[in-house]
Amino acid sequence: MSAVRRWNRTSTIVLIVLTLHVLMVIFPFVWMIYSTFKTNKEFMRSVWSFPTSLNFDAYIGAWSGGALGSYAVNSLIIMAGATIITVLVSTLAGYALAIYRPRWMPAVELSLTAAMAIPAYVALVPLVVMLRTAGLLDTHLGVILPTAAFNVPVSIFIMQAFFNTLPRELFDAGRVDGASEWMIFRVIALPIARPAMFTVGIVNMIWVWNDFLFPVVFLNNPARKTLPVGLTDFVGEHVTNYPVMLAAILMAAIAPLILFIFFERQITAALIGGAVKE
Amino acid sequence: MSTDIGLAKRHNRATLLFLAPALIFVCAFVAYPVVYAGWLSMFEWDGASDPVFVGAGNFLKLAADPVFWASLGRNLLVALSAIVFQVFLALAIAYCLVRIVPAFSRIFLFFYLVPVMVSEICIGLLWRFMYNPYFGLVNAALKAVGLDSLKRGWLGESETAFLAVVVVMSFTYLGLYVLLFTAAVRSVPESVYEAAELDGAGDLRKFFSITVPMVWDAVRANSLLAIIGSLKTFSLVFVLTNGGPSHASEVVSTYLYKMGFASFQMGYAATIGFVQMALTALAAWVVFRFLRRKGDT
Repeated sequence: MSAVRRWNRTSTIVLIVLTLHVLMVIFPFVWMIYSTFKTNKEFMRSVWSFPTSLNFDAYIGAWSGGALGSYAVNSLIIMAGATIITVLVSTLAGYALAIYRPRWMPAVELSLTAAMAIPAYVALVPLVVMLRTAGLLDTHLGVILPTAAFNVPVSIFIMQAFFNTLPRELFDAGRVDGASEWMIFRVIALPIARPAMFTVGIVNMIWVWNDFLFPVVFLNNPARKTLPVGLTDFVGEHVTNYPVMLAAILMAAIAPLILFIFFERQITAALIGGAVKE
Repeated sequence: MSTDIGLAKRHNRATLLFLAPALIFVCAFVAYPVVYAGWLSMFEWDGASDPVFVGAGNFLKLAADPVFWASLGRNLLVALSAIVFQVFLALAIAYCLVRIVPAFSRIFLFFYLVPVMVSEICIGLLWRFMYNPYFGLVNAALKAVGLDSLKRGWLGESETAFLAVVVVMSFTYLGLYVLLFTAAVRSVPESVYEAAELDGAGDLRKFFSITVPMVWDAVRANSLLAIIGSLKTFSLVFVLTNGGPSHASEVVSTYLYKMGFASFQMGYAATIGFVQMALTALAAWVVFRFLRRKGDT
């Protein structure tokens, strides 16, 4: 693509400045990782030094008691539920937005764009009332449904961008054969859409896993809390043992990081696709 | 002709069916709650006993509530700082990555995106260590460069709490905009740069004369994204300061949360959200009109 640039003094300076800057950005994470291998004594002696030996006590300490494990299970359930709903719903809608263009479609697009801009906290009090009436407060489903709804608009636009890249003849061929619209979707569109659905799924998994506002308000029962919410409780209870606290934070952060390491290409593509729609 | 009309009708129905699940979800859990918030704002309600109708009472209370307006002002400051320290800084970084050190762009981008992937709660908890008044790294760094006098409990003092939160936000979300701008900067055709190079333009000149004007659409879109994100901000503020000390770093979301779920003034909390959204919609309308006029000429 871009012509190979000759390395000059500017390149060296830029490289050094960017390296220093990126080190500042990720330092808290690097510090968290190596600090979990320290003993509390070592930590107290010097907060920022490297560990003198590899020590896994912090992980054992964080895992014992089982609270983190139960928070992680809750997070997994909510993540799976919300992601599956969002992917299915937004694939159908994204397909319609890309393939059919009735006159009222721009109005639908505008409404979805507006919904994307609405902060979730505006709906907070009404949602609590609705969920309580439906008996869904303090349940996984009570978090799953609104979370999915708030992630649907942006996911639709990512799917629409994908379907827009497909040639129209692909679908017209089916019409000539007299196939129903549903058949065309199921037999032609759905199989090719799988990679895009997967991409939308991955970013939704990260968003739902990290979500805090809905779980912190809708879940009060400790047995139902998600990892970020439970983590704030856990940290409050372990203020005296810093490595244990940091190991707990690391366990909450590790799942999205692993997804990012394995699916970097899909995730960056989805973030670009979702943002371009403005 | 008649088959075209038949096809159009068939398409209309198919479109509706494909859209139905999405529209039902968005209407039930986004649109309806917003309308419902407007209804609830006319009541005084502790969440348990019967709501008492107070008409415009909550709105009058809100209009005279200095904490709300200060919080809204802070949301706008967050937006302003996001445009400068996230959007424009990210554009400069993206230019460097794509045009100056392309061999390293992928690895840098990966690290810049790490904070975007991790939960804001984890990030906030980690930064509480950085800001710790006794052993925090920020104070240690100040001591190392001989600025002992500036050492303080950054999150605990009302003069610095909000600034400290804004700094964390800049570090956290920057990577998203670096990503979006690298895509935009890459789309500028090589030939434009080559022409400028023949005229002897340096990197700084090329950045301001070519890259910035060529990706201006992306700058606008990303600024809009940053503004929307700034109005939504909650988790980082919640975990770092929870709006304190004494409302010094309060934003609308944390204030609403406190009113609704700590002091159980649910009607008033609904009012805060509803008014915030109405003001945002008004601002968005003004901005859109402004942008459209510019685009038309």
